[in-house]
Amino acid sequence: MNAQTAEEFLMEIQKKAERGELLYIGKELRRIDDLEKVLGSPIYTNDLIPRNTLYARLVLSRYPHAIIKNISVSKALNYPGVRYVLTYKDVPGLNESSTIIPDRPLFAFNKVRSTGDIVAAVIAEKPNRAQEAKELVEVEYEPLKPVFDPIEAMKPDAPKIHDDGNIVKHVKVRKGDIEKGFQEADYIIENTFRTQHQDAAPMETETAFAVPRGEKILIIGSMQTPHHVQAAVAKVLGWPIDRVEVIQAVTGGAFGPKSDEPPYDVASIAALGAIKTGKPVLMSMTREESMIAHTKRHPAIITHKTGVKANGKLTASKVQIVLDGGAYASLGVLVIVRATFHANGPYEIPNVWNDGYKVYTNNTYTGSFRGFGAPQAIFAAESQMDEIAKKLNMDPLDLRLINMLRPGSRTSTGQLMDESCGLPECLDAVVKASDYRKKKELYSKQDGKIRRGIGIAMLHHGNALGPEGNDYAYVHLSVEKNGKVHLGTGLTEFGTGAISGLAQIAASVLGVPIDYFTIDRPNTLIHHETGPTVASRVIAIGGNAARDAALKLKQKLLPVASKLINCKVEDVQIVDGYVYCKGKEHKTISWEELVKEAYEANIELNTLGYYMAPSCKWDEETGLGSPYNQYTFGAAIAEVEVDTETGLYKVLNYYVAFDVGRAINPKSVRGQIYGGTVQGLGYAMMEELVHKEGYVVNPNLKDYYIPTSLDIPEQIQTIIIEKQGSMGPFGAKIVAEPPVVLPAPAIRNAIMDAIGKGINSLPITSEKVYKAIKS
Amino acid sequence: MAQMLVKLNVNGIEREVLVDPDDRLLDVLRDEFGYKSVKEGCGTGDCGLCTVLMDGKPVLSCVIPAFQAKNHKITTLEGLNNDPLMKKIQEQFRAHQAAQCGFCTPAMEIIGWHLLSRKKGASKQEIKEAISGTLCRCTGYYDIIDAIYDAGRPE
Repeated sequence: MNAQTAEEFLMEIQKKAERGELLYIGKELRRIDDLEKVLGSPIYTNDLIPRNTLYARLVLSRYPHAIIKNISVSKALNYPGVRYVLTYKDVPGLNESSTIIPDRPLFAFNKVRSTGDIVAAVIAEKPNRAQEAKELVEVEYEPLKPVFDPIEAMKPDAPKIHDDGNIVKHVKVRKGDIEKGFQEADYIIENTFRTQHQDAAPMETETAFAVPRGEKILIIGSMQTPHHVQAAVAKVLGWPIDRVEVIQAVTGGAFGPKSDEPPYDVASIAALGAIKTGKPVLMSMTREESMIAHTKRHPAIITHKTGVKANGKLTASKVQIVLDGGAYASLGVLVIVRATFHANGPYEIPNVWNDGYKVYTNNTYTGSFRGFGAPQAIFAAESQMDEIAKKLNMDPLDLRLINMLRPGSRTSTGQLMDESCGLPECLDAVVKASDYRKKKELYSKQDGKIRRGIGIAMLHHGNALGPEGNDYAYVHLSVEKNGKVHLGTGLTEFGTGAISGLAQIAASVLGVPIDYFTIDRPNTLIHHETGPTVASRVIAIGGNAARDAALKLKQKLLPVASKLINCKVEDVQIVDGYVYCKGKEHKTISWEELVKEAYEANIELNTLGYYMAPSCKWDEETGLGSPYNQYTFGAAIAEVEVDTETGLYKVLNYYVAFDVGRAINPKSVRGQIYGGTVQGLGYAMMEELVHKEGYVVNPNLKDYYIPTSLDIPEQIQTIIIEKQGSMGPFGAKIVAEPPVVLPAPAIRNAIMDAIGKGINSLPITSEKVYKAIKS
Repeated sequence: MAQMLVKLNVNGIEREVLVDPDDRLLDVLRDEFGYKSVKEGCGTGDCGLCTVLMDGKPVLSCVIPAFQAKNHKITTLEGLNNDPLMKKIQEQFRAHQAAQCGFCTPAMEIIGWHLLSRKKGASKQEIKEAISGTLCRCTGYYDIIDAIYDAGRPE
């Protein structure tokens, strides 16, 4: 209390007390885990390996589809520095590395189904030696007829990739009477949209090391889901899971693939190697290994048939989505669910008929990636809206205003939108910020070779897991004698700041500044299995568990305080680290004194918070019902400038608004919007992991372009709308994924505004723009 | 392969290390000297995360054989952690939440330091150009640019 009078202090405390549980909510507090990051401290997996660690490298399949006749490792084994070569023969337990459908072996044994299949792993004293010895692993293949086009793969006579047919999953939505809807329409508009393989390219590749410890094994790695990795490794080893300890190291970006099967691969291979050699083994994918062997965003072929009245009212929407799943199911069987449920965009349409298919092909496999099916679905849906507007000769904004979801509307699955539907506010915000109407008018009068255009895209995004699984979380809080609070959970941090957000929520409920908090590293031996850290669900689901843990802790502390300061329990206030009796603010004690007293009174300051979201109900056959507890909404407007002689274009401005329910930390929310937008900009403009006959052509960061600092718009104007949801703590909704969705359709529509022609396949390269202009 | 003894000067410390001809400077800095701030994001010179200073200039340590670093002064983030300008940059990275996953942070800070130590008050465009060879997949760069920009402004 430097130079502050007692009176000023009292006023300040009273002001803070008025905010109560919201004291640290909506505050741009710093992250609590960033000091080591800015200092470059050794905190990531590869920084932590012991000195005598061996290194593993992957031998990947040489063919996209082939029978394995024989594998010989003897030459590789004799190479200097090589200690072991792992193949399927070395797997003591189940040779399986799968999330949902057990269709993917850890090591290929009878056949290979893609060039990303792992055939062997060479373990050597140095990475270079392992890399060189890879070439000496002799694999005899008998090539089979492959299939790369998912539409071809759906045909009954297509080459079979697994024992059953190639359609892994079919998801349906059937609402109203689709034929009647088309009959009522004045116009019917049909289009096909295509999207590409996108690589998540977290700056740290998939990596894990294993240390043998007698009967047990310790695994430290980069991942989103340590408990799932623990179960996967135990299965491969044939051990009970309590002999496998998994610690999530600080993780250098994740974006989805690190919640899918690749972390199982690196952890299992490191574990097998460690057991075979008796030494620690690091299995750290090279960038090339990662880009070939990890999961990517599914390419999609999406056809839309939409019925619309002349006044702009949508009457029917029929959508077919075919996702190229590559050779394995992965979490893709859930990706197609989200894609199909969001396929019609954020609109009220009385008659809907959606079919979503995830299909096996001999391309490398695809799975979880930020947005989880929404980027493909919304690109198509929002492009289709502008095609409809063009047909009706209507401003795309007006078409959206007529049909968009509002409180009281029903989604494609018939779910009723409540008051927390902030889509109209989002759209209004970006229209105003961009001065849309004026620019639209201005740009319609352009001639000359440089032309500008302006385009809109919107979304709704079902929150957290919904149909993807049980949405629960545990958060553990324990207080040390000195007042420090440890927050522990199986939920993981990989860059979003969400775990700091959990501390912010717990701090708010307890009334203690966030500086008192430390976050413990997720460890399967210590923390409860708490579901995957996916679907942006840390704040919305984990936040409720953090709140629960803090409330339970407070319940333990209030009686202690009551005795200590001689105050009725209900009048005890804990505000910003001070404890006092309501109305007697001048007599405060500190949080530390309270904690010390609790310790002396033998009160255990250890609580486990738990939250389980209400179960979501929908019909498997029709998709009808409420698959998600709440929705995030968003709208974006992009402005582009196109050189009509060359097709070169750039994004001048990007305005984006998200209804996030309640921004626990607005700075972190904007960080997610910036990062997601730029990742989405890459998806829109330049990123494509090219597959040619099943081979990845550009598995490196030289030929696979991700946006650099020179590729971003001058500024991204972000607007946060807060229409509180029913599920998340303090009304919070999810935010990390939706920003990646909007750039592709917004930019596509802006280019269409500029050149008068729509480009229906991603990425929208300058070449495609040029061809569209010249066609 | 014949190993060789090479004298390296890293962060002001001279040490002789035994290296293979194909050992990369990146690995020697990490494994022999223990400077783990130097990150590998690609191993092919495309991502910029292994950036260190060689005689004061940013270089990519994943494409430089370790033996070629002899007679040069190498500086990693660890060697700058007590430098006042670097402290300012780190402070701004924290204030702007410019370190999300944190994996590109050391390289971004080193490049920011190199720019600001030559040009105090660099413009945002100059910062964008300086960091354009270093990839970040989390932030979209805006908070990084703002952090370096604010660190370069007079207090």
